[in-house]
Amino acid sequence: MVATIARTRRRRWPIVAVLLGVPIGLYLLEPVAGPWLRTTLIVAGSLLVEAVPFVLLGAFVSAAIEVFVPASAFARIATLPRPLQLPAAAAAGIAFPVCECGSVPVARRLARRGLSPSAAVTFMLAAPVVNPVVIASTLVAYRARDTQWLMVGGRFLLGFVVAMAVGWVVGSRRSEDLLRARADEEDEPDDLGAGRARRFVGHLSGDVLFMGRYLVVGATVAAVVQTLVPPPVLDGVASLPVLGIVVMMVLAFVMSLCSESDAFVAASFVGFSPGAQLAFLVSGPMLDTKLAALYVGTFGRRFLRTAIVTVGTLTLALCLWVDVLW
Amino acid sequence: MVRRWSAARLVTAAVLGAWATLFWFVWLSGRTTLYLSGRTAWLVPLGAALATIAAVGRLLTARTNLDEQLDARTAWRAAILVLPVLVVLVLPPASLGAYAAGRRSSFGAAGLVTPDDFEHGPLTMIHIAAAETSIEDLGRLRRRAGESVTLEGFVTRDEGMPADELLLTRFVISCCVADATTATVRVVGVPPGVYADGAWITVTGRVYPLGDRIIVTASSTSPIAVPADPYLGAV
Repeated sequence: MVATIARTRRRRWPIVAVLLGVPIGLYLLEPVAGPWLRTTLIVAGSLLVEAVPFVLLGAFVSAAIEVFVPASAFARIATLPRPLQLPAAAAAGIAFPVCECGSVPVARRLARRGLSPSAAVTFMLAAPVVNPVVIASTLVAYRARDTQWLMVGGRFLLGFVVAMAVGWVVGSRRSEDLLRARADEEDEPDDLGAGRARRFVGHLSGDVLFMGRYLVVGATVAAVVQTLVPPPVLDGVASLPVLGIVVMMVLAFVMSLCSESDAFVAASFVGFSPGAQLAFLVSGPMLDTKLAALYVGTFGRRFLRTAIVTVGTLTLALCLWVDVLW
Repeated sequence: MVRRWSAARLVTAAVLGAWATLFWFVWLSGRTTLYLSGRTAWLVPLGAALATIAAVGRLLTARTNLDEQLDARTAWRAAILVLPVLVVLVLPPASLGAYAAGRRSSFGAAGLVTPDDFEHGPLTMIHIAAAETSIEDLGRLRRRAGESVTLEGFVTRDEGMPADELLLTRFVISCCVADATTATVRVVGVPPGVYADGAWITVTGRVYPLGDRIIVTASSTSPIAVPADPYLGAV
C-alpha cells in the first residue's frame, strides 16, 4: 500500500513538471526566440479557441444521441439499402452547420448506436461541406467573380459525391471494426442505477477528453507547418494543371481552416485555376491536420489511409474535369 | 452501494473547468478579437457556457460506485488538454506581425465592397485590397484618386524599397487568425529610418491608383499603440 502511494506520487512529478515548465519556458523564451514562435502560438491558440466550442457542441449532441434517442430509430435506418443510406446521410449533413471537428464525435456515436458505419462516415464528411453556412460563406467570398456559381455549386455537388464515395469504400465494415475501442466507453454503463443525466454527463465528458487531445495535437502541428511553409513557395506551381490541384489540397490539409471561412482564403489564391481552388474547398473540410489526428484517434490509421486515398484521387479527378470544362 | 470520489472524474472536471476558465477569461478580458473575427466571436461565450455546464456536471457526478483509478495514461491525456489553457493564460496578448505577413497570401477582396460604399464611404484598407483584385473596383477607386485617407496598420517592407517608402499592412480574417490574409498599401513620402518593421502607425495622405497598384502619398505619419482589435473582418 505504501509502495503504491509512493509510486503514484513519483508518477505525478513529470506531469506537474510539464504543466509548470512548458508555460513558464514559453513565457521566458517567446520574447527572445524569434517571431516564428510567437506566430506559431498565436495561430495554434486561434485554431483551438475556434474549434473547441464545436467539439463541445458535437459532444453534447453525441451524448444526447446516446442517451435520448432510442436504438430503434437507428435500426429502422439501418434496414434501408446502402444506396439509399448514403445519399440520405449526406443530405442530413445539410442540417448540421458546425465545423468539421464537431461532426466527428457525432458520427462516432451514430455508428455505435447502430447506423451503418458507411452512412456515419458519409454524414461526417458531408456535413462540413454541404451545410448552408458554408455554402453562404462561399457565395460571399466569390462575390463578383465569374467563378462564383461554379465554386458554390461545385463545392456542394463534389462534397456530396466525395463523401458518399468514402462511405462506399468503407463498405460493409462493422462499427466494431471501424471504431477504435475506448476503455472509458466500456465502463460507461456506469454506476448502478444511474439516471439519464448522469449517463449524459459521462458520455459528454468522455467524448470531450477523447477528441480534445487529438485536436490539441493537430492544431499545434497545423500552426507549426503554417508558420514554417510560406505561400510564396507555391507561386511557381499555380499554373500547372495537376500539380496546382495537388498543391491546393496539400495546402488545405496543412492550413486546417474551418470550412465556414476557408472560401475567403481559397479566393485569395487568384493564380490557381478554378479546379485547384475547388479542390481546396472540397478536400479541406474532409482532410486536414486536425482531422487527421481525430480520425486516427477515432477510427484508426487504416481509415485515415482510406480517406486520404479516396478523397485525394476523386477530388483530383473531378477538379481536373472542372478545369477542362471551364 | 457506497459512492466514493473518483480521482479520474475529478481530473476530468478540472480539465473542463480549465477550458471554461480560458473561455471566460478570453471573453471578459476582451481578448476575443485576438483570436476570432467579429463573425465568429460568439464561439467564445458558447465555449464558456458549454465547458462550464460540462465541468459542473462532471463535478456533480464525480462520486461513483465503480472502481475507477486515475492511471498515468489518463493523467497525461488530461495534461495535454490543460497545457494550451495554461500557455494562453500565461503569455501576454499578442497579434500577428511583420514576420507572419511575409508568409500569408493577399486578401482577395473583389466584390466585398458595394459600388455605393466605394463611391461614397470613407476609403479603407479593404477598399484598397478590393481595387487591387478587381478591375471594376479599381475603376471606382480611380474616380476618387487624390482623396484624403487616414489608414492604420503596421509597417512591412519589400526588399530594395527606397528608404522613404513602406508597406502599410493589416491582416484580414474571416473566422479566426489561422485564415489571416494581408491587405497592404504602398506609402511614399514617409520619414526615412523612423519606423521599424512591425511598428504600428497611422498614415494620413492622398490615395492614387498607379497602373494596377495603389499608393498613398503621406502628408503625416505617427506611431500608435497596437489596437485592441488588430484584425480587419473579411465581411
